Amino acid sequence: MIEVKELHKKFGKVVAVDDVSFNAPDGVVTGLLGPNGAGKTTTLRILTTLIAPDRGSAAIDGEQISADPIGIRRKLGVLPDARGLYPRLTAREHIHYFGELHGLRGAKLREQTDKLVELLDMKEIVDRRVEGFSHGERVKVALARALVHEPRNVLLDEPTNGLDVMSTRAVREIIRRLKAEGRCVLFSSHVMQEVSALCDRIVVIARGRVVADGTPDELRAKAGKESLEEAFVAVIGSDAGLRS
Amino acid sequence: MSAGIIFRKEVRDHLRDRSMLTALLMPLMGPFMFAAIFTVVASWNNEDKPIKLPVAGALNAPNLVSFLTRHGVEVTPAPANYEDQVRDGDLDCALSIPEDYGKEFQGGRSAPVQLIVDNSRNKTRGHVRRVQRLLEGYSQQLASLRLIARGIAPQLAAPVEINEVDLATPEKIAANLLAMVPFFLLMAVFVGGMHVAIDTTAGERERGSLEPLLVNPVSRQAVVLGKWFATVSTTWLALCVTLVAFLFSLRHMPLQDLGVKLSLGPREIAGLLLLMLPLGLFTSALQMLLAFYAKSFKEAQTYLSLLMLVPTLPAAFLTLTPLKATATTALVPVLGQTLLMAEVLRGEWPSAVSMLVAALVAATAAALCLMAAVRLLANERIVFGKS
Repeated sequence: MIEVKELHKKFGKVVAVDDVSFNAPDGVVTGLLGPNGAGKTTTLRILTTLIAPDRGSAAIDGEQISADPIGIRRKLGVLPDARGLYPRLTAREHIHYFGELHGLRGAKLREQTDKLVELLDMKEIVDRRVEGFSHGERVKVALARALVHEPRNVLLDEPTNGLDVMSTRAVREIIRRLKAEGRCVLFSSHVMQEVSALCDRIVVIARGRVVADGTPDELRAKAGKESLEEAFVAVIGSDAGLRS
Repeated sequence: MSAGIIFRKEVRDHLRDRSMLTALLMPLMGPFMFAAIFTVVASWNNEDKPIKLPVAGALNAPNLVSFLTRHGVEVTPAPANYEDQVRDGDLDCALSIPEDYGKEFQGGRSAPVQLIVDNSRNKTRGHVRRVQRLLEGYSQQLASLRLIARGIAPQLAAPVEINEVDLATPEKIAANLLAMVPFFLLMAVFVGGMHVAIDTTAGERERGSLEPLLVNPVSRQAVVLGKWFATVSTTWLALCVTLVAFLFSLRHMPLQDLGVKLSLGPREIAGLLLLMLPLGLFTSALQMLLAFYAKSFKEAQTYLSLLMLVPTLPAAFLTLTPLKATATTALVPVLGQTLLMAEVLRGEWPSAVSMLVAALVAATAAALCLMAAVRLLANERIVFGKS
């Protein structure tokens, strides 16, 4: 469970996150929707403890993120904005590396790796060096290493960005599975179709502020529009950057 | 614990990296250059080697030829085209004795012989000089005999006696070369870990793998330490490879022929290692700090290439102001090590205090660099890049 209260972050004179508050409960997929540059990535980076907020607070499973950053990171599985891999390591070595950093060893680590390889359909590529992997294969490796320790809370920054249809389906499948297992999934996207296809709750961010928060139905009712897309345009004030 | 995991990953990653080979081969250039120069210098000056001299018309001057043979010259009949062969460098020189040698000699005039040489070739110069000296010796010997036969002291015909004192002895050249051993070891310490230092810091960020690494439950200290262990390992490896290469090349160099006394025994090796291993801790940490600070991989390479100038500074400084190794000079990293290494190589064991001071200074400087690197990693602009 993720609780965010009045987060505020400025870079120089630019306000990136302006009093953002929302909740992402367990067993629910929460979408962070907004145009590029709305503050989604900064919000996620604050939650991963890599950026300290100027004001406000956030809690993961009831624990303040500022109190014990390492303990917080233990509870998280993160697919960050940057998802670079090591060209000379194989996919399996990537997954093992992060698993070991999360304290997994031996049989448990192998078991978890095999499970994710199966789930993400990576059998063919898992023992190849990632050099020369396609974009979709790279995202799969990044996703697998982020989930190897079975985190209670999963943060995904634009997980389907630039993926082909098959890879997008695989990622959606994983997200549905995580939800079914009762985990808290928070994912950001600037693609409306992506969010509406997966999310139970949608938090719309524009220019660093939360402009709408609720289920798709609530959003439609609030904006007084028939389609979700029109509802988004209404709450954001423009349709700039919302389409893929 | 986490530092160990990161260290193992970096080692595995970089063992598969071909650029690692260059990092290890570059410091090897020193010892090999060294061996090559030594062998060449020694061969130029090897006085024991018999001179091979092709002679055309040997029958015209049997006494001259037997004089040459007595002085260790292997006289062979010259090939027909000896002038071309000398020009092409196939022969070092050749001697031609014309037919009228005997007639002129009997008549008491200067008997002509031709020494065919190519003065544009450095390589043959030593050889030619020895032949010239022998011929002059023969000439002088005959001159003295003729003067004595006429009742004149030979000294009268030689009012000035020239004794050449050559300062550029091979021994001196060799000693100068040996003084470069510390320099090459310093280079190894500055070059060895360079690639790993950049790749695990600026490279990690540029690949976009630094953010995913830092979202793991790992402290920044552990991240910096793990990467530092990997860098130090390669630095030390480069240092050891260079030392072994020196050992190998010194053993196979004709040092005795040059009259150079240099023993690189277990004692000297231990001394050099005691000096350079701690310095490697510092250079690795400094390289990582600079590479973390750099905006990009390229910028990091520029910084660290500039850093490679540092080992040349003590040498430049010492030619201007000769210093002796003391506990005070040991306080200055690199300079201290340079002076102490020179002592070790001269066969003097430096004072334990100096060695300890040098090691402690290097270790402390390394710790400060690592602490600064940990602080840098807490900086958002460093982690996510300065955009």
